[in-house]
Amino acid sequence: MDALVELENVTKRYEGAAAPAVAGVSLAVAPGEAVALMGPSGSGKSTLLNLIAGMDRPTAGTVLVGGERVDALSETAAARFRRGQVGMIFQFFNLLDDMTVLDNVLLPARLAGVPAARARDLAGDLLSTLRIAHRRDAYPARLSGGERQRVAIARALVNRPALLLADEPTGAVDTATGEAIGELLRDLNDSGQTLILVTHNPDLAARYSRRVIAIADGRIASDTVLPSGETTPPSPPAPSGARR
Amino acid sequence: MSGAFAAAHGGIRGRRLQAVIIAVVVLAATATSVVALGLLANANGPFDRAFARQNGADVTAVVDPSVATLSQTTATIRLPGVTAAAGPYPAVSVTAQVTVPGVPGSSSDSLRLVGRSSPGGPVDDLTLDQGSWPANDGQLVMARGTGVFPGSTVTVGTQKLTVVGIAESVTNTADGWVLPSEVAALAGRSNPAQAQMLYRFASAGSTPQIAGDIARLRAALPRGALVNSPVSYLGVRQSEESNIAPWVPFIIAFGLIALVISVLIVVNVVSGAVTAGTARIGVLKSIGFTPAQLVASYVLLVAMPALGGCAAGAVAGNLLAIPLLNANAHVYQVGALSVPDWVDVAVPLAALALTVAGAVPSALRAGRMSAIQAIASGRAPRSSHGYLAHRLLARVNSLPRAVTLGLAAPFARPARTMMTVAAVLFGAVAVTFGAGLALSLDRVVLDNPDTALPVSVSLSQAGQGQPSMAAAQQRSVVSVLAAQDSTLHYLTQADGQVGLAGLSDSASVTAYGGGNPAWTGYVLISGRWYSGSPGAAEVDVNTLFLTDTGTSVGSAYALGSGRHRFTVRIVGEVFAPGKNLDIYTSPATLAAIDPGTTEPQQYDVAIRPGISPPSYANAVSSALGGAYQVSASGGSKALDAVLTLVAMLTILIAVVAGLGVLNTIALQIRERAHDIGVFKAVGMTPRQTLAMIVCSVAFVGLIAGIVAIPAGVYLHHGVVPIMAHAANSGYPLSLVSVYAPWQLALLGLAGLVIAVAGALGPAGWAARTRTAFALRAE
Repeated sequence: MDALVELENVTKRYEGAAAPAVAGVSLAVAPGEAVALMGPSGSGKSTLLNLIAGMDRPTAGTVLVGGERVDALSETAAARFRRGQVGMIFQFFNLLDDMTVLDNVLLPARLAGVPAARARDLAGDLLSTLRIAHRRDAYPARLSGGERQRVAIARALVNRPALLLADEPTGAVDTATGEAIGELLRDLNDSGQTLILVTHNPDLAARYSRRVIAIADGRIASDTVLPSGETTPPSPPAPSGARR
Repeated sequence: MSGAFAAAHGGIRGRRLQAVIIAVVVLAATATSVVALGLLANANGPFDRAFARQNGADVTAVVDPSVATLSQTTATIRLPGVTAAAGPYPAVSVTAQVTVPGVPGSSSDSLRLVGRSSPGGPVDDLTLDQGSWPANDGQLVMARGTGVFPGSTVTVGTQKLTVVGIAESVTNTADGWVLPSEVAALAGRSNPAQAQMLYRFASAGSTPQIAGDIARLRAALPRGALVNSPVSYLGVRQSEESNIAPWVPFIIAFGLIALVISVLIVVNVVSGAVTAGTARIGVLKSIGFTPAQLVASYVLLVAMPALGGCAAGAVAGNLLAIPLLNANAHVYQVGALSVPDWVDVAVPLAALALTVAGAVPSALRAGRMSAIQAIASGRAPRSSHGYLAHRLLARVNSLPRAVTLGLAAPFARPARTMMTVAAVLFGAVAVTFGAGLALSLDRVVLDNPDTALPVSVSLSQAGQGQPSMAAAQQRSVVSVLAAQDSTLHYLTQADGQVGLAGLSDSASVTAYGGGNPAWTGYVLISGRWYSGSPGAAEVDVNTLFLTDTGTSVGSAYALGSGRHRFTVRIVGEVFAPGKNLDIYTSPATLAAIDPGTTEPQQYDVAIRPGISPPSYANAVSSALGGAYQVSASGGSKALDAVLTLVAMLTILIAVVAGLGVLNTIALQIRERAHDIGVFKAVGMTPRQTLAMIVCSVAFVGLIAGIVAIPAGVYLHHGVVPIMAHAANSGYPLSLVSVYAPWQLALLGLAGLVIAVAGALGPAGWAARTRTAFALRAE
């Protein structure tokens, strides 16, 4: 099967930084896969996610998503790509405080020009599926952490993206809520949704993904496909400083 | 305090954009205020300012060198009370033929020419407007306002002088200047060379003091040495200030608008900066800063970039003021104007004080908060302002979502929005007012015989007044005019003077015949035009005539003094501002008023649209021959200068208002940088980002622009009558009813244009910013 996501020798170096955040990374993710990018803080996993989402541009290398050269897209084309191909979930939800739950979820659809009635139907269905429909008129500040992340997931899915990217989706919620969010993501993946999950939590990586890619100092330290039912992930690599 | 300074310094390094915005806004506000106050200060006594700047002559005296020796003349410099003197300069009065390139024919003028080797000097320091000072004989610098320009020629007898420059003497000490060696060549038996002396006295503030100074001067010279009576600057000042008066009201209006906008922008940016820094104050508090150190650090955080802005603004304001004050000096017809020193000191200090005053209350408030409270209020979601607007606009499906997001944005910060509305409003008021003023001044130009009847034909008998035409000459002129296809219509004109009982001033009487007096272009303020029927004895007069004679339209008034009196009926008030008492009537009535004036002296001709007056004048001149002088009017240079000044002031204020919008948008983008990152992350394109940000001020600008129309029109309707009154005139309705509906509709967009222009820069930057960078912003 052709890869949905394909990175070829991707490097990202921030201006003024001594070392690249991502250094010569190559990887491929097939449609329907659930992949965890795992590593300590500053290892480059979030940068990798941003590059896949077209939110940042690599210094070198190519990023293909659904056969499209994301690294070569203009800002406008990248925005259109994100609308259609990618849903993003963030650690701190990134909901817009001055909009209701429904308006937050509708936003990507409305920006994409989906007719209002159709967008409302899609959003309503998602809110129901994610068991948050009763809070549709609430503002994010009134929601619990788990509710906020469900709203964020609904927003990420409203345009039915081929790829769901989640950056530490359980990092800002309590353990029980984290478990529920993890289950939700696994259910989505079970229904065919391709998922790339960034986490520094090996347990989360093992439980809710089928493949764990360990990142250290911007490079792939290991790429492990977990046998079905395995819950013990490979040990996370230590950053180079720690190794010394 | 060093801790506070270090914290402020660190804060600036960490918030370079904010520091730059504060510096730029304070710079712009300071520069605008320097210009505005410079204009306002010069509106108060511009003659005195120019007089002081140019060391104007308190007294200009002409000495006959055949009566007083050179040593006797120069000895007057050391008279008690004389503080400075210049001269003796050789001087001569000549009758000259003046030829201006591009203008057919030549005019005959009486000129007082003075020989000076340079324009400078301890008294009457001339301002050289154009060109250069004469380097050789045969070159001449003419005084400003004579209608000539470099390249013109002035012929005196067989001497041909080329105009090489234009200069201004604040007390009009000469019509032109040549090198001293030239004067002897221009003088003759009938016009001998004289010596001009210019004096400044210790006491010269009043007519009696000047009279005393002149008396001492006269006593120090041989009897009869002073030619005519020495000229006092007080007479020149009185005349100049009545010329200046009409223009002062609009310059004050523009100056005040500029000041208000500057204050609004500074307060807006400072309050925004304090709000943005509340969380940082909490952090500083948590590491041990006292409330006093916090307040000091925060005030310094704002004051340090503001200080740089103030200094740069004062310099920029002075640079910006140069062209504006030059235009202003042309309008006032004074030599040169400058920004007063006190403005250069007071404005930067006031701008700094205003900035600090804007920061202190918020800093005190934040200083009183607990550390946790400050951090929380700085990082917590914004208060719920604007939520309802977002909710309602999200339901508007007929507009793109990016637009409705932008339209909801102003409701999040109502106070800032109101400040922005006010800045745009004042900018748009200035545009509406400036446009109206330009239209009114255009009306003044159009409603004038120089425009309505641009070509005049008279007899060429220069230097002897304008003689009347004999019947045969009139027939020649009429046949030539009738033969021209481009002739639209024409009027005969005859001028006379008439004394007025009980008044020292006489009135000038102009009789237009051979057609409709409305063809003159003059507009009636009230009443109707006079009847041309013999025996009607009807006249129209200007406002000053009515004011000085205590009459009104409908009054009967006996013209003339002494035995010869002729009673006329005033049937209309003509819009003819100025210092003269003007009467307009038919040739028959003029003949009755002044029996010596029965025949026309001039034909005033209107030509068909699209025909150039100089080319028409050339054609008529060729047909009539050298016995006739045919002139084409060249427009009003004074009004051109006023229109230039109006345009410059309008543009300046609109730009400053746009800068206010830019500041608001920059603050908004800084505060919402993370939200913008989220928008981009969920698929907002750069174009949509641009639309969202521009729409966040476009509606505000549109509303401000619409409100500005009645405000600008009201200001115009208030200022124009004051200007007319200052020019000794009432005003016709057409002078204030100048706005066509389509023009008002267009002016209504001024606020929108200012807002969008101000927003485009920062909005474009936000639109181009990469999503990951925006998302990292806090």
